[in-house]
Parts: sequence; C-alpha cells; structure tokens
Amino acid sequence: MLLSPGQRILRAVAAWAVVMLFAFPIYYWVTVSIKLDREIFSIPPKVFSFETSAKSYEEVFGISLGFEQGLSVLPGGGDFYMTPRLWDSIVIAVCSTALAIVIATLAAYALSRMRFRGQHHFVFWILSTRMMPPVAVAIPMFFIYRDFGLLDTYHGVILIHALMNMPLAVLLLKSFFDDIPKEIDEAALIDGASRFLVFRKLVLPMAMGGIAATAVLCFIFSWTEFLFVLTLTQTGLKTVPVVSSTFVTSTGTAWGNMAALGTAAILPAFIFILLVQKNLVRGLTLGSVKQ
Amino acid sequence: MTRSLIRAPRFMIADHPLPWLLPLIVILVVFALYPFFYNIFLSFHEFAPRKRELVPVGFDNWVQLFGDPRMWNAFSVTLLYTGICLVIQVVLGMAIALLIDSDDPGFGFLRGVLTLTLVIPPAITGMMFLLMQDAQFGIITWTLQSLGLLTQATPILATPSLALWGVIVADVWQWTPFMVLIFVAGLRSLPRDPFESAMIDGASSWQVFRRLTLPMMGKVIAIAVLIRGIDLFRMFDYVFVMTSGGPGTSTYTLSLYAWEQTFSFIKWGYGATLSLFALFVILIAANLFVAVFKVRW
Amino acid sequence: MRESDRKLYLASVTDRYVRGDLSRRKFLRAASKLGLGAGALGLTATMPFGFRGGVFNTAAAAEIVPDADMMAWLKDVAKPFAGQTIRLATESTPPSNAINEHLKPFFEEATGINVEIEVLPLEQVLQKLTLDVASGLGTYDLYYLDQSWMASFSGDVLDPREKYAAKPDLAMPNYNFDDFLGPLVDGISMYDGIMVGVPYDIPIFIYMYRKDVYDELGLKVATTMDEFLANAQAIQKAKGPDIYGTTGQMKSGHYSLECDWTAWLWGHGGSIFGPDQKFSGNDAEGLEAMDYWVKLKENMPPGVTSWTWDGQGQSVAQGIAGQVLSWGEFFPSWDNPDASQVSGLMEAAIPPAPKALRTVEQTGFGEIPGVGHQGGSSLAVSKYSKSPDAAWLFAQWATSADTQVFITTLGGGTGPTRTSVYDDARVKANAKPGIPGTTRHLNVVRETIDNYMGSEPDLPEWAELANDTIPVELGRFFAGEYDSAKAAMDSIAEKTNKIVSG
Repeated sequence: MLLSPGQRILRAVAAWAVVMLFAFPIYYWVTVSIKLDREIFSIPPKVFSFETSAKSYEEVFGISLGFEQGLSVLPGGGDFYMTPRLWDSIVIAVCSTALAIVIATLAAYALSRMRFRGQHHFVFWILSTRMMPPVAVAIPMFFIYRDFGLLDTYHGVILIHALMNMPLAVLLLKSFFDDIPKEIDEAALIDGASRFLVFRKLVLPMAMGGIAATAVLCFIFSWTEFLFVLTLTQTGLKTVPVVSSTFVTSTGTAWGNMAALGTAAILPAFIFILLVQKNLVRGLTLGSVKQ
Repeated sequence: MTRSLIRAPRFMIADHPLPWLLPLIVILVVFALYPFFYNIFLSFHEFAPRKRELVPVGFDNWVQLFGDPRMWNAFSVTLLYTGICLVIQVVLGMAIALLIDSDDPGFGFLRGVLTLTLVIPPAITGMMFLLMQDAQFGIITWTLQSLGLLTQATPILATPSLALWGVIVADVWQWTPFMVLIFVAGLRSLPRDPFESAMIDGASSWQVFRRLTLPMMGKVIAIAVLIRGIDLFRMFDYVFVMTSGGPGTSTYTLSLYAWEQTFSFIKWGYGATLSLFALFVILIAANLFVAVFKVRW
Repeated sequence: MRESDRKLYLASVTDRYVRGDLSRRKFLRAASKLGLGAGALGLTATMPFGFRGGVFNTAAAAEIVPDADMMAWLKDVAKPFAGQTIRLATESTPPSNAINEHLKPFFEEATGINVEIEVLPLEQVLQKLTLDVASGLGTYDLYYLDQSWMASFSGDVLDPREKYAAKPDLAMPNYNFDDFLGPLVDGISMYDGIMVGVPYDIPIFIYMYRKDVYDELGLKVATTMDEFLANAQAIQKAKGPDIYGTTGQMKSGHYSLECDWTAWLWGHGGSIFGPDQKFSGNDAEGLEAMDYWVKLKENMPPGVTSWTWDGQGQSVAQGIAGQVLSWGEFFPSWDNPDASQVSGLMEAAIPPAPKALRTVEQTGFGEIPGVGHQGGSSLAVSKYSKSPDAAWLFAQWATSADTQVFITTLGGGTGPTRTSVYDDARVKANAKPGIPGTTRHLNVVRETIDNYMGSEPDLPEWAELANDTIPVELGRFFAGEYDSAKAAMDSIAEKTNKIVSG
C-alpha cells in the first residue's frame, strides 16, 4: 500500500515504539545482571543509572573481569554449573533440531506428495502428540529411559526434544512442500529420476527457506524446554532453563546471577536466528500461500 | 529404458509413503503412543507411598476427578486463561504484523528484535515478570502506582482479581511476537493484484483489511490459533513461578494441578487422570476447530 | 602482628574495599603489609575464562585447610572405593553450595571418589527423589531430606547409626553422633525410632530487628508475643510506610506461608494436630493465633501476600522492615554491604516467648510445638545405592565438625548442626558486624535450637498438606475469600482430615 511520507514516518515511529515496549523487559533484565545487588531493589526502580558490577557474570561463568571476589559461596555451587551448561544447551538444541528436521522433512514430503487413506487423520494424530501435558509424558519417559539407559545422556534429551518438535515441524514443512508445484516432481520422475533423487536435488533446495524457518522454531522450543530436561537428566548435563532454577535458593533468589545467565543465554539463540532470519520470513511466506 | 522398468521401482520402493514416514512413525509410537497408554494404565492405578508400588484402584481416580471442585476450578481458570490470551495475542499480533510489515529501512531489524522474546525460557520469563510485578520493588507496579492506576493495597500477583492478568501479561509479552512472525509471513505471501484493484476502487484501509486481508489470511490464522491454543492450554511455567496458583486457587491451572499431584504429592494415578482429561478436552476442541474452520492438511 | 589480628585487619580493609571506601591501590598496599601478595588475594587479573584463583574469603581469611588427620584417614580407608562415583541431589542451600563449590575437591582428591552434586530448588529435589525411589534405580546414592519428607522416605534409607556400628572400619574416628544438637536429632533425623539421616543443615526462625530503629524509638527487644506486636505497631506508626513494623513470607499456595503460620500457631498454645490426629488449628488457641497474625499483618508491607522467603528477605535487606521473626539463614546476607542496605544494623534475638505451649503428647504425629520453626534437613544414604560405602564416607565427611566449620565460615550462614562447631574459634572469628557471611547470630541460633525449636509433624501426607492444602486456604483467607478466620480454619480442618484419613 502506498503511504505518504508523513504516514511512513508515523508508521516508523509507531513500530519503533511498539518494539521498544516489547524489548524493554529484556533491557531491564540485562540491567539487573549488571547491577550491584542492592540496586536491583531500589525504589523507585533504577532504569538508566545505577551502580554497576560485573560480579554476576564473574560468578556465573567463573571468569574474572577484574573485580575478583575471592572465596565466596555462590548460589547453585558456582562455576561448575554454568559455562559447560551453556554448551550443553547448544549441543542439545542444535542436534535435536537437526534430527527433527531430517525426520520431519522426509515425512512432510511424503504427506505432501503422496496420498493415502486416512491421511487427514494421520496428520491430526501427529498434531495430537503435542497435546499431552508435558507432566504426563515425563513419568513414562523416565521409565523408558531408565530401561534403555538413556537417562542423563545427550542422545536421550536430543531424542525427546526432537519428538516434542515433530508435530510442529511436520505441519509447517508439509505446508512448505505443498507450495512447490507438483509438476516439477512429476516431470523429473517421468524422465527416470527416482523419488529420492527428485526430493534431494529438486524439492529440497527449493524448500530451504521453509526448512530454515522450521529449524528456528524447533531450536527455540528446544532451547527453552524445561520439564523433560529436568526429569531426564541428573548430573551429566543440564540446559539453561533448568540450571537457572538453581539460583532459587533457600536463602532467596540470586537475581543478578539468574539475569546474567539469562542474558548470556539469549546470545547463542539470537545468533542462530540472525543466521536464518532472512530465510525465516521468506520461508514462512512460501509456506503460508497454500490454500 | 521402457516405462515399465522405471515404474516398478517407483511404486515398489520410492513412491510408497511408508519408507518416508517410517522414522516418524517409529519415534511417535515409542515416544508418544506409549506414554498415552501408560497414562491410561496409570489412571486406573495409584502409587502407594508406603509400598512403593502401583496398586489398582479401578475407576476411583475418574470418579474423584469429576467430583473434584479444585479440578473444575482449575479447568475454568485454564479455559479463561487460554481464551483471553488467544484473543489478545491474535488481535495484538495482527495489529503489530500490519504495522511492522514494511520494507522501509529498519523494519527488518525491528522484526529481529521482536523475536528476542521467544528465546527466553518461559521459566525465566516468569521470574522476570515476578520481579517486575513485585508489590514493593517491581517496576511495573511502581509505574502503575505512579500513574494512579494501582494502589499499594492491591499487589498485582496477590489480588484475586488481578493475579491472572499479571500472568497473562507475561504470556502476551512472550508469545505475541510468535503470532507476529507467522502473520507477517502470511501477509507477505498475499498476492498483490486484489489489493491494487481495491485501492483503485477507493476502498478504505479498514474495508481492505476486512474484505481482503482477513479472509485470505484465514488459513494462517487458523494454524497459529491451533498451535498457540494447544500450548496455552498446557501452560504451566508462568503460574508455577509467579503465583504458585494463588492467591487461593485463582490462577491454578490444570497443568499446574497435574504437576503438583504427580510430583509434589506423588499421586501419579490422579495426576495421569488429570492429564488425560486435559488431553481429551484439547482433542475435542481441536477437532471442533478443524471442522468449523475447515482446515485441510 | 598476631595471626588473629592480621585476619581481623584484613577483614576490615577488605570490607572497606568492598564497600568502595578504599581504592584498589590502597587496599593492595594495606594487604601487602600483612604479607599477602596481590596474587594471594586473587586481585590480579586472573586468566580470562580461567577458574577462580582467589584464596581468601571476603569475611575473614579462612583458607581451607582440612583437618590433616581426617583427610589421612579418608585417604586410607577409601582405597577400595577409588574411582566410584556417588551422586547427591540437594536443595540450593548454603552448605550444599559451599561443598559443591569449594570443599568437594578436597574429598575427591583424598579418596579418589567422584562426587556429583545436583543443585535444585526444593520442590524439584522432591520430584527427583520420588522418581529415584519409585524406580528403585539408585541413581542417587545420597538423599537430601527435608524434615517434612522424613516420614515418606524413612523406608528408603540406611540408618546411619547402624551403618556406623556395622562397619567399624568405615566409621570415622571422632565422628561423634552425640556432638549433634539433641533437639535436631529428634526434630529432623528421627522417624518412628529410625534415624533417617544425619542432621545436615538447620535453618530456623529467630527474631531479628533493626538496632538503629529500636534505639531511635526506644524500643526494647520483645520477650512476649504481645510485645512483639506492640513493637511492630510502634515502628509502623513512627516510620511507616518507609519502614514497616514487620514483614512476612505469605505467598498463597507456597510452603513459606505454612511456615509463618505454624510459628504464630505454636506461639499461642495451638497445634496443627491434636492427640486424636485430627487437625486442631481451628480450636480456640488456633483462632487466637489467627487473630494475632491478622493484627501483625496490618504492620507489614502490602506485598507480603506475594512473597516467599525471597521477597521477605529482600524487604529486610532493603530496609523497609523494622523487625521480623524468620529464618536465621538470612542474617549473614543482610550483613553483606553489596546486597543490603542494612549491613551491620541488624541484631538477632531469641524468639518471643509463647503465650502457652503444648507438649508433644498434646499434639499428633510427633509434632513439637515451639516458636522457632525449623526447616532443617538431613543427609541420608540411599538403600538402593550401588556404592553405599563410598556414599557413607562422603556423608560422614560432609557432616563432620571440620567440614561444617568451613561451610559456616565460607559465608554460608546456616546454623551448624554440631555443638562443637558453634564453639570453634574459626567460626567465632567471623562474628563481626557488616561482613558477608557473619556468624554473629549463631549464639542466638544455638539457643533457639536448644530451647525454642518447633518441628512440624511427621506423616506421609504432610508434603501435600504443607505445600498445598494449608497454604492455599490461608492464601484465600488473606485474599479476603473467607468471611472469618474460623471459616478458613474449619475449611482447612475438613480438607486435612479427609486427606489424613485417606
């Protein structure tokens, strides 16, 4: 739609205002991570000027930024827990996303290109696996995992996160494949190419945008998942959401530390999103044309 | 090569959906169907804390479920919460999507910033809003009090009429950008022609939106509502962290109730029954939704 | 300079440095006079991304030098278990964090046993333990047992006294069970004649107040419930709403609300259960307690009904509460000038005397009335553990007097569970105001444990009652959903009796 310059400026101002409103809690959270503890609770709240301290980051990541605190006891037991946990989170989110995408892409392609009886119900069944409250999945999972020796392992958590993302991934990917004209496949098949070759060489590259978009959402859901990691891990690995709960201690909550970990945890995910951001919008665009 | 030669392997190996779907089916059967049946099994048993084993209790859990005022209260809170959040997020999401769907400089950046809310784990989001809505030290409380919209005597998260709204704010903050993302993508995929002819006919913006945009976006909105609705109905993190279901039971959701029964009170049977009940409700609602809005996969 | 003077001086310059009264350069110079190089203080820029290299405590230079005899014994006795891994799931409490962060390596080095500690919030520990017990898996060798779970898990652990007697070769010399404070053994370790675990930590309600406010208003430390209320009202009247009379942990549906309730209930001669094992919070004493509590709440910040112990602790730390009856564990953090506006201004005292007090015989399920509500925990060896001997060694080490001294001086702040630790010179050296991790409140803690401690009843259903039934209904009461305290208490009585009778 054509807008006059005045309207465009107005629109830009409004858009910035709205986005800043949404960004404010994150900004505030970041300030909590660099505030001196007692400043977190001043009244009126201090938004722009406050005493700063790198203590929270030093404590959470066991690094020194020149404000060494010496031997103090940290909530959650200190650096043993944090930096490696960020790494755990990345490994799990990336691997489970990859696994979910591989399986879901195959399935979504078949659902998009081949028709079979009860397909509608089959798709709905896939969606329904997301409807179970996580609490109800956690306990049976714990027992399966115990029997298969998957407790407290990377591949165990990766599996469950991939599963959890499957309905979303299959549905989204199927709609992306639906947008790619079937005629392309058929022409190639008649030329003698196998289904798999068509899928790999023709359809897959065209659906790259959609796949990236799906990957971002899978990544986000894995990155933020709490209950499965809590239930299915012990000391071997932990992701950021679970570890951040260790800052809720018996003597109060270590807000600064929690905010520092939370802030640091935004970065890897944001980098991942930025890397695929162009694809994200284009991908979803492709996907939603279908009717 | 004759055509029949090409055809045979196509039909035999590659064109049957099964090999393509097999990995998915295996993983879903093991990890989704099994828990489902296990929960059905559990719902007819109860964990006996002293004996450390499951004992069969017949239909006791189901009878208890339908006569449990706490459950019905949690059910209505969950419905209310899901409904309010969905409406706000769809409307707000659409409004922001329309606002932000532009190729002017800076808008790509704005969309990127908006996705930031999604990468914060809900449990941490809950803590963030708990801090910001603290009755004494919270910045939201302080702002509202300064504006005269809130009195000292009504702490947001401890006043029955306000607590649910306090939780809704967190949910809306975190998930509206999810809607925006999907809607922006939908908007960008709309064909240009109808809009141009509508403009030439001198239709107002509202008419364009009402008659063109909204109907053409129907499918996208339906998918977004379905996915969000399912997640909202299972919501647990925010109330767990922010209100513990309180004050009283005014923010006690089904998911929280199931969690408490399962993990805090070790009543696995009743917890599973609650979860199954929630599952059936979502199943029915989703089926209705799919039927009413004629969603075809 | 004598060693103790040196430490004192170091503590004071450190304190000033931390407060920002002293420049880094001056601080280093002062420290070097004490014969401590910058490196030893950990002030030099340590390696980026390297692990913390500091060797002093902000409180007082408490270097960790474990008792040589004990370590030698451990090294010797642990030989068969070297290479084994033991696991513990624990709440994020000062002792667990101190062990996990600083002390564990000493044990691991001496014994060759790997110790993995999973630190979680309380309710998640319960979840982990439940799954472990239900699956009989023994993934955790040691259980951190909150006093309220004692009954539930009493059948899943090894009695430490039996273990101690049965394996004399693994029995730590001078471990001395009698050193544990007697009331603690009864309150947090014993269930039905079984010793479920070794007393591990002991947060307990003590009376803490702002010395400056009391002095200014000429208030005296309250010795009775009525004086406590009168003091709160006096502070509120003179200082409110900048400084409220008192504060609380009264979040609906949270365990903390139940903790506050029991203190007032017991303090008015009431009890949770009667000898007939029926809920008795709705009797005359129980209602009197509610009446008192409502009056007290008028002198609290309006936000108390949304606070757990976190908000309560913050409200004192930010200087908006004049006095409080709550966890002594808070005290050391209130003396931390970085985190608190009231550093050095707080004083501790024993809880006000109850109006009347029931005896254990007048209550049900082993409930022990007392104003000093305790939230202690014990460390237990799992019956399902695959390395019970290694776990037992760790449990002895973690609860030995020497280790407890380090836990306490490392700024943890929980009350030690052993008599000898309260008397230890290293612990007493930290009893100074205005430093994080101070121990100057510990005399009060000890006296409270000995004489005024209250313990919740032991029954398997207690977790549900204490975390849900009682705090949810109390939350409804304070949210104004009940017409009277009587109605609320009757409702709790009805629900509780139903749950208890099954």
